[in-house]
Amino acid sequence: MKKCQITFQLNGITCEVLVNPNQTLVRMLRDDLGLTGTKYGCGEGDCGSCTVLLDGEPVNSCLMLAAQVDGHQITTIEGLADGDKLHPLQTSFIEKGAIQCGFCTPGMILSAKNLLEKQPNPSELEVRTAISGNLCRCTGYQKIVEAILATASPDCQCSSGDVKNCHEED
Amino acid sequence: MLLPKFDYNAPSDLEEACQIMANYGDQAKLLAGGTDLLIALQKKSIAPAQIVALDRIEDLEGGWGDEDGFFLGSRTTAAEIAESDYGPAGQALAQAASQIGSPLIRNLATIGGNLATAMPAADMAPPLLALQASIVLQKYGSRREVAISDFFVAPGEQVMSAEEIMSLIFIPELPAGSGGAFEKLGVRKALERSIISVAAVISLNDDGKTINQARIALGAVAPTPMLAVNAAAGLCGKKATAKNFTEAGKTAAQEAQPRGLRTSALYSRLMVETLTVRALNRAFDAASQ
Repeated sequence: MKKCQITFQLNGITCEVLVNPNQTLVRMLRDDLGLTGTKYGCGEGDCGSCTVLLDGEPVNSCLMLAAQVDGHQITTIEGLADGDKLHPLQTSFIEKGAIQCGFCTPGMILSAKNLLEKQPNPSELEVRTAISGNLCRCTGYQKIVEAILATASPDCQCSSGDVKNCHEED
Repeated sequence: MLLPKFDYNAPSDLEEACQIMANYGDQAKLLAGGTDLLIALQKKSIAPAQIVALDRIEDLEGGWGDEDGFFLGSRTTAAEIAESDYGPAGQALAQAASQIGSPLIRNLATIGGNLATAMPAADMAPPLLALQASIVLQKYGSRREVAISDFFVAPGEQVMSAEEIMSLIFIPELPAGSGGAFEKLGVRKALERSIISVAAVISLNDDGKTINQARIALGAVAPTPMLAVNAAAGLCGKKATAKNFTEAGKTAAQEAQPRGLRTSALYSRLMVETLTVRALNRAFDAASQ
């Protein structure tokens, strides 16, 4: 098994890594590079806890070989904060109580980041669709949806139950 | 979980990829989106000596059209297809792509992989059957075109030989006044393998009411995705009415060959009828626009 030399951008930093061809992306990030913010859950693309951004688009890193990221840009949850300053989505998740055990949170936030870049004012349905590949077994999703909508519209004071009225599509 | 050991090949063009496949044959597996392959590797249900990744081959990505129809590279992702405008008939394909897996899966999964894995429930198969697509297969020194209706053989099996690579999917141009739609039945909206799927494509005469051509394709109700030939033939020359659509739905339900694996055969047939009527109604609306 010949090792693969790969070069890619990881959270804005150029990385050169020698990987085994049978190493998955999530394993390289966690085991070789020590970035344990990306979680390993089901390993089959069902739970979304291993979500990373590949050239800005969210993907399951358990379903990619590490060798495939050669020449690409990867963003993990560690790449969102600016020093000690959290990303607005991270702050909103904390403020809205959208984090319980936290296992799904990195994936939720990365899927949400991609959504807000494409659609800065999403409807509730668009939020729920965007996170439909990310499973949460703690929160029942409501607070996660609220946290994402609140990031999109920081002035909105809506809470559970009002979300629909506040964010109906035009 | 550790994957079996293999060597990794990332050819930069199709000719190089064909050469590699000619050398290794069935010892090699093609890697397109990886959403099925990586799971098979993890489960150790396959253990190829070589993986041949197709993601550096630009010719396999994206779509383009000419007067004959539309070509799609086999590595075009479900997300790209879901966001594309293929016109009133081709929208059946975009609708199917938009319901595969999850946003995360759709960013990786490819049309070529969806067809090559040949699952009875593959969502992009019914619309492509209804659109009379053909598939271009290449190997070192030769290429052939296979009608999608001749492509699937059995669950997980299609006509590709070990050296062949799917390069393109061709969708022929349909006459003006054509429309298509896709319907999927699942117990949830995301990460769901279709219990039943139906695609319908119809072409109307100039009067905007009489059906000139129709094709209805069914997923997950037979060992392979299938055309409901009799249901479609029964619509030709008839008016697009609720009564005729219901009749077509009943015929499609008879043509389905459900084996009662994921739901009872009776329920499958009943839902084939319902979904066929819905798909025909929406295809008619699309054709009328």
